[in-house]
Amino acid sequence: MKPEEIDWGQLSSIIEKHKTEQWALIPMLQDIQETVGFIPPESIETIAAALNIAPAQVQGVITFYAGFTLKPKGKYVVRVCRGTACHVKGGRSILRLMKKELGLEEDETSPDYQFTLETVACLGACFLAPTMMVNRTYYGKLSPTKVSSVLAQFKKQKGE
Amino acid sequence: MDEISLAINGIRVSCTPGASILETAEKNGIKIPKLCYHPDLEPFGACRLCLVEDEKSGRVMASCVTPAAPNMEIVTDSPRVIRHRKNIVRMMIAEHPESCIVCSKGNRCQLRQIAAQMGIGETDLYSMPNYKQLEVENPFIVRDLSKCILCGKCIRADHELVVVGAIDYNLRGFKSRPATLHDLALEHSNCTFCGTCVSMCPTGALAVKDTRYVGTPEREECTTCGFCGVGCSLLMGVFDDRVVEINPGGLHGSVNRATLCVRGHYAHDFLNARARLTQPMIRKGDQLEPVSWDEALNTIAKRLGDIKKDYGPQSIGLFGSSKCTNEENYLFQKIARAILGTNNVDNGGYLAGRSALRVIHERTDGGRRINPIDNLCGAESILVLGANPAQSAPVLSYAIKRAAKGGTPLIVVDPRKTDLTPLSSLYVPISPNKDCEWINSLAAILWKKFGHDTAFIERFTEGFGPYSDALSSFNPERLCLATGTDMASLERAAELLKGKKIALIVGHGITQQRGGARTMEALLNLSLMTGSIRSKTGGLYVIAKENNEVGAWDMGTVPDALPGRLPLSNADTRKEWERSWNVKISPDQGLNVFRMIEESEKGNLKALYIMGENPLRSLPQGNRVMEAMEKLDFLVVQDILHNETTRIADVVLPGAAFSEKDGSFTNMEGRIECFSEVAPPPGDSKPDWEILDLLAIKMGHEKRYGSLDKIRAEMTRSIALYADLKENTNKNFSWIKETSKLKLFSSNGEGTMIPFSSLGSVETEIADDEYPFTAILGSQRFHLGSGTRTAHSARIRDFGLKGEVELSPEDGAMMNLKNGDTVQVQSREGALSREIRLEKGLRRGLLFIPTAFHGNDAMNLLGLIQLEDTQSQGFKMCQVKVRKA
Repeated sequence: MKPEEIDWGQLSSIIEKHKTEQWALIPMLQDIQETVGFIPPESIETIAAALNIAPAQVQGVITFYAGFTLKPKGKYVVRVCRGTACHVKGGRSILRLMKKELGLEEDETSPDYQFTLETVACLGACFLAPTMMVNRTYYGKLSPTKVSSVLAQFKKQKGE
Repeated sequence: MDEISLAINGIRVSCTPGASILETAEKNGIKIPKLCYHPDLEPFGACRLCLVEDEKSGRVMASCVTPAAPNMEIVTDSPRVIRHRKNIVRMMIAEHPESCIVCSKGNRCQLRQIAAQMGIGETDLYSMPNYKQLEVENPFIVRDLSKCILCGKCIRADHELVVVGAIDYNLRGFKSRPATLHDLALEHSNCTFCGTCVSMCPTGALAVKDTRYVGTPEREECTTCGFCGVGCSLLMGVFDDRVVEINPGGLHGSVNRATLCVRGHYAHDFLNARARLTQPMIRKGDQLEPVSWDEALNTIAKRLGDIKKDYGPQSIGLFGSSKCTNEENYLFQKIARAILGTNNVDNGGYLAGRSALRVIHERTDGGRRINPIDNLCGAESILVLGANPAQSAPVLSYAIKRAAKGGTPLIVVDPRKTDLTPLSSLYVPISPNKDCEWINSLAAILWKKFGHDTAFIERFTEGFGPYSDALSSFNPERLCLATGTDMASLERAAELLKGKKIALIVGHGITQQRGGARTMEALLNLSLMTGSIRSKTGGLYVIAKENNEVGAWDMGTVPDALPGRLPLSNADTRKEWERSWNVKISPDQGLNVFRMIEESEKGNLKALYIMGENPLRSLPQGNRVMEAMEKLDFLVVQDILHNETTRIADVVLPGAAFSEKDGSFTNMEGRIECFSEVAPPPGDSKPDWEILDLLAIKMGHEKRYGSLDKIRAEMTRSIALYADLKENTNKNFSWIKETSKLKLFSSNGEGTMIPFSSLGSVETEIADDEYPFTAILGSQRFHLGSGTRTAHSARIRDFGLKGEVELSPEDGAMMNLKNGDTVQVQSREGALSREIRLEKGLRRGLLFIPTAFHGNDAMNLLGLIQLEDTQSQGFKMCQVKVRKA
């Protein structure tokens, strides 16, 4: 998702919605992550003030969980599995190919905010090894040709 | 509850339920290695070094976080435990940079100590140091997070003890490190540089920045901090007879335990400043020339003797110090009263608003003296008025913040948002100098809506009838408007306080203010109505600006009271002291410091003896003070630093700082703290009590005391308040003894009633169209008082604070001002120019001017006029106009 001006109105309505809940921080962050696509660093102090905790603590929670990010991500988040089963089945080559195809290193996002490349320790779909996910869809039993065709599908969508 | 019985290393021990295995073991003298544990912090279980094994179950567990359970059979050093521990340390060492040889933690690095104890030198593990950027930009703390072992002590100290929230863990796994918001350098975060984390850090990840000395001190000695009235215990590291390092004393039962503030930790650099006075000097022509002690003291004795003979004792004034010890203050006023025969004796406490406190002192018959800061954690509610303790008395603010974080309702009443407001349940942005009216409105609402502490009032007080009648005819709505607040916030405050005892925290915003005495009366009434005074869950805490402000008054270094705060006007007390000293004491009230200046101007005061004060910098209108002092025939200044006042003195005597002598201070709690010399006084300088003792002999005192103990013995014998100090040789502190004859404070339940006073009000000043802004003068945590000592701290100086004037962004926009612009601030009395900072949330029409900067030029804005004077604007605020310079 391409970052635009932060929509403070949207942010503050999310913050307002959660601030009186018990243990509100994580649900609030999840909501922001979901709605905005990332948690704007500029919003940390506002979140902290709403919950009456230290901003550094909010930042600590955000950076601890892989599910939260302080940077905007691409429209398609590609997660390549680095688990043992995938490794044995050639997951490393899949990652190498992915890097080449997308022109991205791990944890990088393309300048047009279309793709983000990540790796995960295990996707829990070892029977499909080697495997990866694009957003919420699994792609298993990958081969170089399959990777290219999957990517082509998303690149095509981008062109539309 | 029943004790739990278990075995540790085969020894049967018992503990209370909930106690951890580690605590139980340590209580029984069994040592367990640990890095992340600290007795003042919640157990955390991060380092895993405190592993122990339960032989029964075979479980291995971290003893700091595991509660002891019945019938456990713990072994703290089984081969299995030792193997695990060694592996943990080996891995820590593998990740640690090999820079021990240049690390300032040196031999005190706990990681290194533990590794050495376990026999771990070089590990056979692949070294994987996790290098991070070295942070050395600020003058206080060096952060080298390459050396961090993630024990979390700094983070927990920050969150649990000082409650600032500047840092927390950032990222996870191998990348994880403590970080400020946005991982900025400390100086760009809300870090207050209290240094608590530095003292706690087990490795060299956090270290004191001091390029003059890197290494282990030869010895460490405990003393009491010489800055604010909280009286923290300090552990001073000494090398080559110089103080090279300061850490919290960590004494059991001390005010601060493991915490300190930036002043306590870093501003003691002044002890080694080049401006220290090291030899007696006498003015010869235009120059001050070094002389022997004998010559200096003989000159003083002769000149003062001559002046007394020629012009009478009332022509001599003595200005003592709220920074000197009790013993020194006692001796100082004794010299004034018993040897010179004058009551013209005062101390710097006058400037902090002593006259406003006198009201409380009189009404409570000297009671209310003991208010332990520790009680705040159990307070039912806290109301802070006219104070920003996070700046003026930081260690007190930690206690307030901890209480607020724990759920105690905290109400902050202040014209400006303070460092406490983010944690407060309610912030009341009151108009300046309306506290008295607001307190009365609050009392009225509490009384009308929620009643009062009937039992307390009936048992201990009198005059509630007329007071409550006045309250019922009170119109809070109308007064609310006048105080610039709304009914809703007043009602909310009443709601928060109903049925609760209130711990009142009163700062210089009240005591240094015009009409402060009336506000104090209103506060006392509120405190009585709610039964809060003398309650462990309430209390009346008055912030003392300087370390021995309380003690100096107790010792009688004031023009209107004898030692023990006994009124000079009372013939009986006079008689007692006359007997004790074998002299005649003049019944005439002496001159306070303002009157001394006035009398010097008129030529009536001929000589002034100043000990440990720098009036040219601390009093309003320094130039006028200087002109007045230049009219004196004879000026003696006894101090530790070359300063504005020593420059115009006829005789300069080099005294010793608190760490260079024995003595005692009395803090704002009513705690008398004794301390001994840590390092010798520099050069030829001497402890101030010794100087006074030598001088007294030359001026006709019958015999020398010769030792501090003898002064203390006389003091404790004759001053009932300090009677408990006598037997205090092993303990490092004792409390002031309650001597009030009021039933409220007596231990046997007998005595007289404490009266309510009538509802007072503070007259509103007439708005001055020519000077539309109200400037509030206040301290910043980096400086104390007028800044004479703190300005000599190399590190505080290097921090490069500018003391910007704060202005609201709205007013800034009106005048087309932006951050960093220089403005000229002018009052009817004087002017200053400073840079400005636009402070969001500051109320329009207000200005905040930090004191102690630029030679304390803020005092030029104030008039040289007594606080009690009806014309006085007080020492806290004044009307000014602002223009772009």
